[in-house]
Amino acid sequence: MADTVRRRAPFSSITALVLAGAIAATVVPLLWMVVVAFQQPRSIVTPGWNIDLSLENFLQVFSPGQIYGTQVVNSVILVVAATGICLIASIFAAYSLSQLNWPRRVVIGVLAAAALLQVIPPMTLVPGLFGTLTTLNLNGSLLGLILLNVVFNLPFAMIMLKFAFDALPTELRESASIDGASDFGAFRRVMLPLAAPGIAAVAIYTAIQVWNEFLFGLVFTTGGAQAPITVGIATLIQPQEIKFGGMAAIGVVTAVPIIILAIAANRQIVAGLMGGAVKG
Amino acid sequence: MSVSLASHRAGQRASAARPRPRRKFSWFKYLSVVPVLVFFVGLIAFPVGQLIWMSFGDIRLVAGDLSWRFVGLDNFERALNDDAFARSIWNSVVFIVATVVLTVVLGVALALFTNRLVRAKTWLQNILIWPAIIAPVVISVVWLLVLSPQIGLLNKMLESVGLSGQAWLGEPVGAMVSIIIVDVWHWTPIVFLFVYTALQGIDSSILEAASMDGASGAKTSRYIVLPLLMPAILGVAAIRLVMGVKAFDEMYLLTFGGPGDATTVVSIYLRTVFFEAFQYGYGAALSVSIVLLVVVTIVVSFIFQRLIGRRSRG
Repeated sequence: MADTVRRRAPFSSITALVLAGAIAATVVPLLWMVVVAFQQPRSIVTPGWNIDLSLENFLQVFSPGQIYGTQVVNSVILVVAATGICLIASIFAAYSLSQLNWPRRVVIGVLAAAALLQVIPPMTLVPGLFGTLTTLNLNGSLLGLILLNVVFNLPFAMIMLKFAFDALPTELRESASIDGASDFGAFRRVMLPLAAPGIAAVAIYTAIQVWNEFLFGLVFTTGGAQAPITVGIATLIQPQEIKFGGMAAIGVVTAVPIIILAIAANRQIVAGLMGGAVKG
Repeated sequence: MSVSLASHRAGQRASAARPRPRRKFSWFKYLSVVPVLVFFVGLIAFPVGQLIWMSFGDIRLVAGDLSWRFVGLDNFERALNDDAFARSIWNSVVFIVATVVLTVVLGVALALFTNRLVRAKTWLQNILIWPAIIAPVVISVVWLLVLSPQIGLLNKMLESVGLSGQAWLGEPVGAMVSIIIVDVWHWTPIVFLFVYTALQGIDSSILEAASMDGASGAKTSRYIVLPLLMPAILGVAAIRLVMGVKAFDEMYLLTFGGPGDATTVVSIYLRTVFFEAFQYGYGAALSVSIVLLVVVTIVVSFIFQRLIGRRSRG
């Protein structure tokens, strides 16, 4: 294809200009955050261009007396627990729906319900969830937040994994069970390893979603030691006084792992985004 | 037991030779769906039920307990006459129309241009998707640092070339324009990615035939490539629409719905009613109305699409 493209549309200066512009528009705002993060708080607020190099913002925000370190730890716990639970639950359900002879009507019904859930704005479910979490006595706890992140990532994970298992030949499972494997054995030894690439894509995508989640963290925690770091950043954005330096420093700490992940696992992320943009 | 490819083949032969074993009742099949079922019932069905129940009541927090009094359709009646709610729907519509159109146009253009590159395509794609995977909260921080009147990059740049800085988020129109720009920056990559992937799937022989027939690059794009991309474009436009309805984080952090109610979209208004006015019953009724509105829109557009499809097929 590259050859025909070269002949059809020679690499023009317009193309170069547009793409350079797109790269600049993408990267410059992000770089500016990094620049601000590494400046003295004083030079951030002076007018004009004063660029210096200082770690003061990072030291201030992550000093022992501050809560943001704890919140980063919370976010990590949240990602690991929610992604893990979500994957285990959705892998089993997706496998069962895909391979174990459910009536078509049931499968389509479950998928339609899962797809519908993607369309509903999470904010609208907050009043109901608020009541439920209060009933379960989980309001304001990290555990409650973990469960909410699980349930709102389940539909997408289940749909994607169902498709991943659909792509595997049924004969493999059948021959395994003829060879004497139980349903679980055929699943664990034959089908699960084959679905690993699809599972990896869903895992990475889910982890990013949980790491980035803000709404539930905001309304179901009090913003203190139980909150994830996304909520911590929000507390720095006060109407009266915005702490630009600290905000930028935490922004860098929150964004950098994701960008490193994007570079390292680009293929899985693209696969996840393509299927998962429905989630928003 | 290990199942190798050889035993797979053997199994296939065997299954051709003898009848399949009779299916036993499979505990595994039913147990596998239990966790998901528990989650859905406990944290979706139950809350949705509670939401509906709340929407028909007048709810007060009395000594840490919710007291509920049946008020029928009062909450819904109030929603119909609520100017602030109407305003939030209008704001959402403006925001959604602007962001869907802009992200789709820019995303498609970006995909077509990227596809003209001979090398470095993957490299470019890798960078262009960054905004779509960074936390919305961080996106808000990035843009606060760009748009801030005092320390923002944009005003600094304007001032260095002799223009005067703007208030951006501080004035009603500027605030709406700003959150639209932020959303476009945030989500154009998704459109780009969808369309770009669809482009890779177009058979290159079609394009070769076009260029042999003497079509220029621009003409090929307009009359051959774009029609072939239509399904992908419409699909991603629908996705963007849904994302627009859900939008919350950036408005909450960048403008808090303001100044005044200039950027109060439905999610922001709901939060205010629920967590600042503590009107749980009314908030629930608003939620139910919004969900119904979304579902009805989807069903209607689905039927509409079916009708058009049928007519065009003749």
